[in-house]
Amino acid sequence: MTTRLEACSSADRGEYYRTAFGLALSIDARISIPGLGQSPQAAAAAPPSRVRLDADGLSRRWKAITSLPERLRELRFNDELLLSVDFAEPAGYLMWARDFGRVLISPDGIELLCEPDPAVEHWANILPFQALPLAATIRGLEVLHASGVVLGGSAVLVTGPPGAGKSSLAAALVRAGGQLLSDDAVALQLMDGVLIAHPGSAVLQLRAAEDARLSAEQRVVLGRAASTVEDKQRYISDHSPEPAPLGGLFLLERSDEEPAAEQLAAVDPFELIASTFNLSVRTPVRLRRQLDVVFAIASGGLAHRLRVQSGVNATQLAATIEAHLAAAI
Amino acid sequence: MQIVPQLSDQELLETRVRLPQHVVHRGFVAETVVLNLRTGKYHGLNPTAGKMLEALDAAPTVADAVPLLAAEYGIEQEQIQRDLLPLARALLGRELIVAANDDTA
Repeated sequence: MTTRLEACSSADRGEYYRTAFGLALSIDARISIPGLGQSPQAAAAAPPSRVRLDADGLSRRWKAITSLPERLRELRFNDELLLSVDFAEPAGYLMWARDFGRVLISPDGIELLCEPDPAVEHWANILPFQALPLAATIRGLEVLHASGVVLGGSAVLVTGPPGAGKSSLAAALVRAGGQLLSDDAVALQLMDGVLIAHPGSAVLQLRAAEDARLSAEQRVVLGRAASTVEDKQRYISDHSPEPAPLGGLFLLERSDEEPAAEQLAAVDPFELIASTFNLSVRTPVRLRRQLDVVFAIASGGLAHRLRVQSGVNATQLAATIEAHLAAAI
Repeated sequence: MQIVPQLSDQELLETRVRLPQHVVHRGFVAETVVLNLRTGKYHGLNPTAGKMLEALDAAPTVADAVPLLAAEYGIEQEQIQRDLLPLARALLGRELIVAANDDTA
């Protein structure tokens, strides 16, 4: 672990290129982030966001701030602080997460400097789960808290409260032939009136109980089995799909009735706004974009309600979605 | 909330109001969402109030919006005016509309 701290202060030792959340990424070779896209076209299309291990640089920049830090976000559980985001000029957004460390994201989202917690092996998980979605939001994409797959050339997203079964449903949709966009966050981009869904991290995390119900053949379809994190079995896909037009956003809702999907003629816009991922960036440009994306989902007839019973079989739900989409076409 | 000068009904009717540049709105099927980009606050209006907001923004004065809305909804102008004036005051108070001669718009 000492070597990692030394590495933080040493010179750059190389980089590799990936894509995620609509961003081209240049990543310090000492940082391992599995499940990111490898599209060379995307990497060439935009200036990359650079992800670097640089604890010294982070500290230096944060010490040089010229404004009082503004606390933009706190995430707590039982009064215990788990995550915070502060902003100060000219350094940018300082994200801290317990058991992960700190990431400083420049005001333009181009540079991410990492100071990992040396005691935590999986510290880099903060990047795809929190820091990269924030950088994507800064750089002009709208990230939804949703799982999603590409099915039949279109992106199918599922959003709902924590524990509603988004990951299980994404896994079932992958088993039905879909390609995983993400099981946690997907970036949307409004291009010429069309919403394009960009993959996040193609790492699927299934609860142990859900994983135990799968056969060996079903697990293979989900990707490489990796280590468990917090009682969740992780599967990593090495083949992140290309961005795809949004075909539907399904809003999960608990119900006592049989699983059913319906297209929402009059979706509650605030329910859609609540599904957006990042509340730290509240610039006028971002707020306007957030409203435009939500409006495009609603006016495009892309919002659907998916009613689910507690404990319902994810495979059955995936079939409900497939049948609903087929009927809509 | 902005402190709005106490305009009489007549004074408000003669006022020209506009959506300022820092306010954007989108009309959803069952709701109009109005976003104040300065405060970052979203506001929801029912479809009727959303239509009134559009009429207020388009009409030369608040009074001119009344017959337009009365014709659209088939309701007497007095009833429209009774509903429109408190809405206009509420929108002014939240800086979602401003008097057209307001330099802060």
